[in-house]
Amino acid sequence: MAWQDYVHDMQRCTRCSYCKWIPYRYMRNIDFMEGCPSIARYNWHAYAASGKFNMAYSLLQGRIEIDDTFLDVLYKCCMDGSCDVSCKVQQDIEPLQLMQELRIKCVEDGQLVPAHMVVIEGLRKEDNMMQSPKDERAKWAEGLDVKDLTSESAEVVYHAGCRYSFDEELWPVARAGLTLLRDAGVDIGIMGVEEACCGGRAYELGYAGELTKYAEHQIETFRTAGVKTLVTPCSDCYAAFKVLYDKIGKKLGIEVFHITQYIDKLIKEGKIKFTKEVPLTVTYHDPCHLGRLGEPWVHWQGKEYKVMGQMIVHDPPKKYRRGANGVYETPRDILKSIPGLKLVEMYRIKEYAWCCGAGGGVIDAYPDFAVWTGAERLREANAVGAEAIVSACPWCKRNFLDAARETGDKIEVYDIIELVQKAV
Amino acid sequence: MKLAKEEYQALEDIVGPEYITQEPVIMDTYNQVWGNKFFFDEKHSVRPAAVLLPANTGEISAVVKVCNKYGILFKAFSSGFEYLSLSLVNEKGILFDLRRMNRVIEIDAKNMRAVVEPYISVYRLQFEAARYGLYSGRIGVGYSAGVVATECCHHGCQHSMVFTSGYGRNILGVEWVLPTGEVLNMGTGDGGGDLFSADGPGFSLRGILRGRTGANGGHGVITKVSVKLYPWYGPPEWEQTKQPGEPPSFGQLDKVPDGYKVFVPTFNNLDDTLDASEELCRAEILCGFGIAITGTAPFSEGNDEEWAMMQKALNAGPRDVGSIPNSVVAVIGYQSLGELEYREKCVKAITEKWCGRFLPGFNEPRALARAFADMMWSNGVNLRATGDFLPSSSSPDGSPAMLKKLALQEAEIKDRYEQSGAFLTFGSGLRMVSWRPEEHLSTGAQGISTAQYDPWNPASLEAARDFINEIFDPRGEFNRYGIPSRGGCLQIEPVTHIHQNWGPLYDNYDKWLMKIKKMLDPNTVGDWTAYIPPEYPDYAKEGNYVLPSYGKEEKR
Amino acid sequence: MAERELENIVGRNNVLNGPGVLEEYSRDFSFVPPIKPRCIVKPANVDEVQKIVQWANDTLTPIVPVSSGSPHFRGDTVPAVDGSVIVDLSGMKKIIRVDPRNKVAMVEPGVTFNELQSELAKEGLSAYMPLAPRSSKSVIGSMLEREPITIPSHHWDSTDPLLCAEVVFGTGDKFRTGEASGPDTVEEQWEMDRVQLNPFGHSHIDFQRLIAGAQGTIGIVTWATLKCSYLSKLNRALLVPSQNIEPLIELTYQLVKFRLGGSLFILNKLNLACLLGRSPREIQELRDTLPPWILFTSFEGYGVLPEEKVAYEEGDFRDMARLCRLKPETAIPGASAEDVLRLLSRPSPEPYWKTRFKGGCHDIFFLTTLDKTPDFIIAMSDLAKLHEYPVEDTGVYIQPIVQGTSCHCEFNLYYDPNNPAEVDAARQIVSAGSEEIAKMGGFFSRPYGAWKDTAYRHAAGTLTMQKKIKKIFDPNEILNPGKLCF
Repeated sequence: MAWQDYVHDMQRCTRCSYCKWIPYRYMRNIDFMEGCPSIARYNWHAYAASGKFNMAYSLLQGRIEIDDTFLDVLYKCCMDGSCDVSCKVQQDIEPLQLMQELRIKCVEDGQLVPAHMVVIEGLRKEDNMMQSPKDERAKWAEGLDVKDLTSESAEVVYHAGCRYSFDEELWPVARAGLTLLRDAGVDIGIMGVEEACCGGRAYELGYAGELTKYAEHQIETFRTAGVKTLVTPCSDCYAAFKVLYDKIGKKLGIEVFHITQYIDKLIKEGKIKFTKEVPLTVTYHDPCHLGRLGEPWVHWQGKEYKVMGQMIVHDPPKKYRRGANGVYETPRDILKSIPGLKLVEMYRIKEYAWCCGAGGGVIDAYPDFAVWTGAERLREANAVGAEAIVSACPWCKRNFLDAARETGDKIEVYDIIELVQKAV
Repeated sequence: MKLAKEEYQALEDIVGPEYITQEPVIMDTYNQVWGNKFFFDEKHSVRPAAVLLPANTGEISAVVKVCNKYGILFKAFSSGFEYLSLSLVNEKGILFDLRRMNRVIEIDAKNMRAVVEPYISVYRLQFEAARYGLYSGRIGVGYSAGVVATECCHHGCQHSMVFTSGYGRNILGVEWVLPTGEVLNMGTGDGGGDLFSADGPGFSLRGILRGRTGANGGHGVITKVSVKLYPWYGPPEWEQTKQPGEPPSFGQLDKVPDGYKVFVPTFNNLDDTLDASEELCRAEILCGFGIAITGTAPFSEGNDEEWAMMQKALNAGPRDVGSIPNSVVAVIGYQSLGELEYREKCVKAITEKWCGRFLPGFNEPRALARAFADMMWSNGVNLRATGDFLPSSSSPDGSPAMLKKLALQEAEIKDRYEQSGAFLTFGSGLRMVSWRPEEHLSTGAQGISTAQYDPWNPASLEAARDFINEIFDPRGEFNRYGIPSRGGCLQIEPVTHIHQNWGPLYDNYDKWLMKIKKMLDPNTVGDWTAYIPPEYPDYAKEGNYVLPSYGKEEKR
Repeated sequence: MAERELENIVGRNNVLNGPGVLEEYSRDFSFVPPIKPRCIVKPANVDEVQKIVQWANDTLTPIVPVSSGSPHFRGDTVPAVDGSVIVDLSGMKKIIRVDPRNKVAMVEPGVTFNELQSELAKEGLSAYMPLAPRSSKSVIGSMLEREPITIPSHHWDSTDPLLCAEVVFGTGDKFRTGEASGPDTVEEQWEMDRVQLNPFGHSHIDFQRLIAGAQGTIGIVTWATLKCSYLSKLNRALLVPSQNIEPLIELTYQLVKFRLGGSLFILNKLNLACLLGRSPREIQELRDTLPPWILFTSFEGYGVLPEEKVAYEEGDFRDMARLCRLKPETAIPGASAEDVLRLLSRPSPEPYWKTRFKGGCHDIFFLTTLDKTPDFIIAMSDLAKLHEYPVEDTGVYIQPIVQGTSCHCEFNLYYDPNNPAEVDAARQIVSAGSEEIAKMGGFFSRPYGAWKDTAYRHAAGTLTMQKKIKKIFDPNEILNPGKLCF
């Protein structure tokens, strides 16, 4: 649907402001009731999802133009979807999809955020979002005894993703993930320098063409490689492969797992066994793209009609994605099974988790906002008495590390892979 | 319109450049609220000239003085969830977004009061107060709504009014930036003391602060309120949970918390229901009470799911459908087992007296837990069904007997529109009569009636206006029940002209109100769209009746 | 002549100006200077009141509304300026309507508590009363003065039990507040089951709050409706004695938090002695016998399970008292709870209880929170010593109000009006006490003669605003000038 097609939703946004908060039912602490980092930081209503509905409606009516303020408001947003979950507790409208379409429109109209332009240029040249040379993509796996799928075949492809591939500080995590699976007997390989971006993050920036391009590329790549399954340690990539490709009608043709799902499977099959204690109190941060944004896409074609006089319903009934079917329990199950590990929950979790701050292009264009958002999350982790915050996405880990350094927070930052590695 | 450079600069000098804006992109996010279409023919009401995010009372006072100097309208809001809070008479107007004033200044547990700034929501206060064994009442308008807004500026009707009162009765202190920019503290606050009384010396200035409703931003900015708190019998914290895979709307308590008990009796007919209701309320045992709005069903995921559920219920037979209008929710709290036993016995005795029964579907533990949460905690406001609703069209307060008469009379009219398909209808032919008791019925009850319509469906919108025009016509059959809307929900004076039309019938109250407005606001800078103008503009009339003026017409 | 014009309004027999009568209305038991009124006029209905007010505007004559009979104690009914006309409404004695279903009564200004209680009892109702008011006290007068009632759990708002009213403003305009307003008569409203029950103001303004506490400076009330409680089918009462007030305060906080019980207040021994004793000697003996502090509470049995109500309330109260290490009793040396209970449903028997001890009494009362009352007690005790006034001759009455969020704190200075030294001491304590109380955060929400100026000195913003409001409702300032801040 193009952005104009959301006029029904624009009209029906009531300005209830629930998009600013986590759903009230789940509020447990007065210091951690807000859900949307954008409005929490920038205060103007425009920065909330409701504000975007308003902006879109005004744009549609020719009352405003896309100017610097418009771009600032639209892009100072992690596209994390907290607003979407909260809104849809009470409403049948699509704030996140509308914001996505607005971004696509901006890009189509050439209304671009300079920092994003640099990133996309890099993507187009080097097939990655990290402005790094393509031929260095496999460096993270150097020395690892694992199949090269450009010349060998395997059942499973391990897709590291751009962040893991080029963020040297995070390489040990990517390596650990791959090693765990390999050592568990999984027939696994990597695409090495031929691994390309999933296109998901570019899509979030509004570059819809990039998603299509990379989706087609990946489909072809994996078909050629003959793999049956994809495992990725990156939640962004997981959501791209699992959800976004399906959204744009591209079928990857292979099974997609986030690494936590695969590890869980291996634990249940007895192929990963925990033998060591990890005495640590941790709290789990739900990556947006594994959680609410990782909820499978729902295709719907139909029409709206009225019943009981004026109640708006659909034919066929329309199943809205309200965040419930993301991956929440699996990572927790893993953590709970690690000996000696104590899991404490933060106040904003699962569908209504606070974002790490890295998504939506924020880490590229507004790094201070990204750090601020990450620091807020660390504050919450500290508030529940956690010694460490653990997530399942390299973007989360990166942003938490940056936030901790910026603020001097001593909390440890892990990816779940690292804790699993410690326990085996 | 843009403010003149000098005007804008004067405002910026006070709040700082980061906290004022006149960007059209942002301005147009401050004039789109549900209900706008009904009044203004479009989703956009008047665009403000600027929006400010003040940090404190001092900044607001200084800004208001600037407004007086340059003739700039102003209005303040906290969540801005009602069209009254953002509507402006004309474009030379600014809005105060009070987001930054978000402190709970004090909770005095012993003396049962809380002092809060404007952005503190009712839900947040409920949350904080619970830790002290206290409770702030459950308002009707959703969980973002501010304490200051509900207690001082707008309605403040509470679903828990049987026990926690409402409509400004809980105000113990107020800090008020007048339309002149001066700051008035009421009562004990005037002398710099603890905020335990807003009354005096002498007569109480609460009389001009608000009546059954507040001034909706029309006479200044309330920057602080001290409110009475009530006992909270439940736990200091709670957790609502759901099963994995269930939609977020399914989160709930597993059971009614210790310290409370909930009963949902169903009666055989409307008269028994209402008679039992009266007796239950007058028994002085309730913490919460609702008629015909049980809240026992899970909050459906979406309209499609709601429709599926309704079809199931309708197919189950008229008996089941008929249960809801004749069911009530009675919440009791108890601080001892003796109190529990007594109150429970009362509920059962009264239920039995009026031949009520406890249907299993409404009284199983999770259903009761839902009813409890719905009754006691600020909740989501459900505009999802049709996109909008007409809140309490006439909504007077008075005796249950009077409210029953009114409700049935109004229902007949509403029925016409429902039959034509213009409004949401349950189609069962049942008449729902519901009222909200106030203070154990010692001051009567609030009448409730709502109609759900679709403002984007021209026929439905027209019907909604016709319906309201009929109810609000002082020449019509409702003119003896009290002033409609009471300055509350449907009070946009330039459109519905309630004061102008009803004042002459009700002791010319509007003339007094105008004088008070003039006195408080000599330069007319407090926006009066949801209050009263110092003089009535010229509107089209039919004899003495001022015709409704739907559509946006800016007043200079 | 003024009297002639007034006689044309109310009839000859209802304009009084004999020397004795003028003298009677010129003074009261307060220390305000006496000023003789010009005459007394006794209207019979709202039309006459309206005409009087219009006449007062035309002639710029100050008028002083009075609805209670003498003796008066606060100075609010004594003219503050020469040439005033007393508008005595005490003859308007209709109990217009009693509605047992909605527990509301409608009365005229001259109705006293005795008269009202008798009528209410027939319908199974009882009035919310202040503590032992004098027999001549007007029900409406009491409500308009915001006198505290003895049942804090039913005191939701400072204006309770006042609901709606018919009032003639200082402009001469007639007005009906709250639900009473409308294009129809009250009788027509009753036919619709509109029973003048709901006090909430017209839209954005609560007129009722502007007349309550106004001491007749905004308007003259010609009838009012009031909340009533059920007449108990049975009740029980307990006294809780204590050497110190602090434990009683702690216990009170428990009770008010959970709205437990009916009547609830604290007295010192002198005040309880005055209430129970019939003569100075009896009072002195009681004072010597009673414990220093006594909390009184009752448990009222009404509704569907009256016995159970009383039983559980008493049980819970005893548990709460135990936690405070207090022992409730049905009787203590010198007093029984039943004796006190009996006093609460009717005005004080004659002579008025505050006059029995020494003949004269000056109250000083204000609002505070319960936890601060011990500090005020110490302060007043110190002041008494300073002015060589016997501390033991000071009565104390603490009444939780607005469901315990604050309390009415009252000191009663008993003195012999024929003893100049005592009179002088009392006067000085009232004056010095007002200042001290205000400095300590005591709030004079009801500003009477002795502490009026003190009250307004701490309420500059309120003063300014009230003057502006006064200009609207009484532009010629003919209503009770010299009261409040006018």
